[in-house]
Amino acid sequence: MAIPHETLKAMIRDYQGFSLADDELDLIQPELDHYLQAIDQLQELDLATVFSSRLLRVQEGGQS
Amino acid sequence: MAATELLTLTITELAPKIRAREVSPVELTEAALAQAERLQPTLGSFITLLHDAARKQAKEQEAAIMRGEYRGPLHGIPIGIKDNIATAGIRTTVGSKVLTDNIPTEDAEVVRRCKDAGAIIVGKENLEEFAAGATSNNPHYGAVHNPWKLDCVPGGSSGGSGANVAACVTFASLGTDLGGSVRLPGTFCGVVGLKQTFGRVSQRGLLVTSFNGDHIGPLTRSVRDSALMLQIIAGYDPLDPSTVPVPVTDYTARLGQAVRGLKMGMPTNHYFELLDPEVETAVRQAIAALEQLGMELREVPLPMMQYVGALRITGMADSVVTHEPFLAKHRQDYGPDVLYRTLAGQFVLGRDYSKAMKVQRLIKEEHARVLQEVDILVTPTAPVPAPPIGAKTVTVGGTAHQVRGPGSGVISRNTSPSNATGLPAVTVPCGFTAAGLPIGFQLIGRPFEEALLLQVAHAYEAVSPAHGQHPDCVSP
Repeated sequence: MAIPHETLKAMIRDYQGFSLADDELDLIQPELDHYLQAIDQLQELDLATVFSSRLLRVQEGGQS
Repeated sequence: MAATELLTLTITELAPKIRAREVSPVELTEAALAQAERLQPTLGSFITLLHDAARKQAKEQEAAIMRGEYRGPLHGIPIGIKDNIATAGIRTTVGSKVLTDNIPTEDAEVVRRCKDAGAIIVGKENLEEFAAGATSNNPHYGAVHNPWKLDCVPGGSSGGSGANVAACVTFASLGTDLGGSVRLPGTFCGVVGLKQTFGRVSQRGLLVTSFNGDHIGPLTRSVRDSALMLQIIAGYDPLDPSTVPVPVTDYTARLGQAVRGLKMGMPTNHYFELLDPEVETAVRQAIAALEQLGMELREVPLPMMQYVGALRITGMADSVVTHEPFLAKHRQDYGPDVLYRTLAGQFVLGRDYSKAMKVQRLIKEEHARVLQEVDILVTPTAPVPAPPIGAKTVTVGGTAHQVRGPGSGVISRNTSPSNATGLPAVTVPCGFTAAGLPIGFQLIGRPFEEALLLQVAHAYEAVSPAHGQHPDCVSP
């Protein structure tokens, strides 16, 4: 599912983004397709219990 | 010794000759500069050649040796520096038109360390614009050409660095790696490329474009030379908060030790799923060679890697934030590939950035768990050999994939995960395609265990069919 140009233009306008014409929005579309595909795939993943930790802790099995 | 013969030596071979005053840094630097001059029109591997500065450094280093002040294996050795690493008083363009007049006032920490070790910097090396891509086909400074096949890319973004080391212009070059930008030129140019653990080497003086994935690493013609380079650039930098105060060990200590009994993990998913058949054959032969040396092979699943696409989301957002001040004033100076790839990042939602960070954490933990069962992971470095310069797509697994610009990423699919995990990874040449293009074998290790990683890489290198080979352009 692609994000309509009108939505992208509204985001640029309302969030003070870098302006893009229709033909330029077409050019960035492949990057946005990858983005949406990756996010869609995360729907199945429970991320609620995942926390950050800066250092890798191999000896403890990577558990933070 | 003839110039070509000198230039094809490794640092390991040269260093004792320099120390014994059998080879002069001045003579060596002249040979490297002559090679650079001869090949620059063919390879396009430099943005700035430093004839005068290199000659001056060479004379100073030679004088120091004559005074008995030998500084170690890098003393008197000509090296190259990728042009996104700051050099005091020398323009550092980052491969961009935007920064074409940028002259840093301070050396990057890695440059300072190399200079202190006696290295001679012969030039600033060409790269992908803003180091954002895998081809090194630069819209402002020209395409870098692969020394093995001139109509092919050298990989990127450190393409000039890879080409120079392969063509025996430099004995080592410092590249940078955000998604594979040291290891991809390593594999495409048939040299060794090391991305050490995140936090092992200071990034100060690099235009960092991500929050936690940039690394500076060496490209060399042997694993031992890679260890020597790491020895010099590794260490805590109090002015770089990304570095970690873990003691620096002797990275050459384990080289030559037997690898019998060590365990290698071959991922059952992701890394071997999308491969050119010639790459797969060469890498499986490399794995078999390590088995012959006594290493135990285990298949290891990495189920979280099915979500690896999410890691790109952080990169998209980080990139647009890095470029924001440049885009505001110099948008017209960008090439289209980097411009539109970067601008896509402005649409990333904070919610999705947060999710991507969590996925990064899960992938880190999974790799850490697997690396308790095995000592290293073994994978192909790139899924394909070097594509032709200007190719829009590369076909692998029956599908055409974008090579550069928005939507690209297939070339770095096996290297970029180690930027997210921060784990050390090295590419070693393991063969050639029928068309004569190099193929690389990637080894991934535990954090801060570069000595073990290099031990295995060194053991493999000794039996690799690609070891010690040079492209034809090396000789006049």
